[in-house]
Amino acid sequence: MGGMTRNYQVGDEVTSLVKQVTQEAINLFESSAGATGPSQFTDEETAREILGTSGTVASGRMSLTFALEMLRRAFGADVFNHTGSVDLRFLRPVRPGDTITFSGRVTGISREANGSKISVEIKAENQNGDTTGVGNGSAIVPNAYLPAEE
Amino acid sequence: MADTDNRILLDWDALEVGETFDKYEYVLTQEMIDTYRKGVMDDEAGFPTIAHKVDVKQYNARYTDNGSVNARCAFQCYNPPIAGKKLTVTAWIADKYLRRGKNYIVTEAVSVDEDGRLIDRVITHELKQPSEVGKKWEG
Repeated sequence: MGGMTRNYQVGDEVTSLVKQVTQEAINLFESSAGATGPSQFTDEETAREILGTSGTVASGRMSLTFALEMLRRAFGADVFNHTGSVDLRFLRPVRPGDTITFSGRVTGISREANGSKISVEIKAENQNGDTTGVGNGSAIVPNAYLPAEE
Repeated sequence: MADTDNRILLDWDALEVGETFDKYEYVLTQEMIDTYRKGVMDDEAGFPTIAHKVDVKQYNARYTDNGSVNARCAFQCYNPPIAGKKLTVTAWIADKYLRRGKNYIVTEAVSVDEDGRLIDRVITHELKQPSEVGKKWEG
């Protein structure tokens, strides 16, 4: 799927994406926008106070970013960065040390005014097989990139 | 002298859907992009704006509450932002709802750069009782 082929069928599997979430990665993510103070993402004590968890958690926005990466690789940046979307629900906390696997499957193809909308269901699982997030994404692929209809 | 905190304590019942916040402007730097890409382990990640949490920034400037947990987030890509460009964010309260006795707020934001390029749209559902996370997953 993706790359030069640009041929999509309902049921196609998207190439999965595996991410190892570390505290260092979380800290970089949080600090990239200038955040400097302690938060539930970067400081265990703050996480205990606000969330009641034993340690920090990763922002759901990191999982969102990973889902976007998976679909960008599937559809190509030239398409996905201009027409792509992801809608993700966060079911379990993602913690430092977790390995999260994102997977996807094409669930629908529909004609839109500016191409064909390819819809993908998305699932994120941790190393224990627990689902941490579910949702869906899509991209509108120009019909010029798709095989000609017969 | 310390700044006075003029924020309003959130009254969820009184919060109005459609409330639009003051525009938020910032310049996206190459350093922001590079740090974001290291954090997400993706050299081609195009939307560092996700980490900036701009959809709730102006909410957090106006209101104070017990914190929040992100329950759901939707993101629409239009054009990757360019380093050095000023971004203007318009954010508003898109919805609020009560589910299983818990209060949620939905914020929505659109970012546009100084040349008028539409960058992205983000919609976030925040649970306003963050201690529920510990109760559910640590109990």
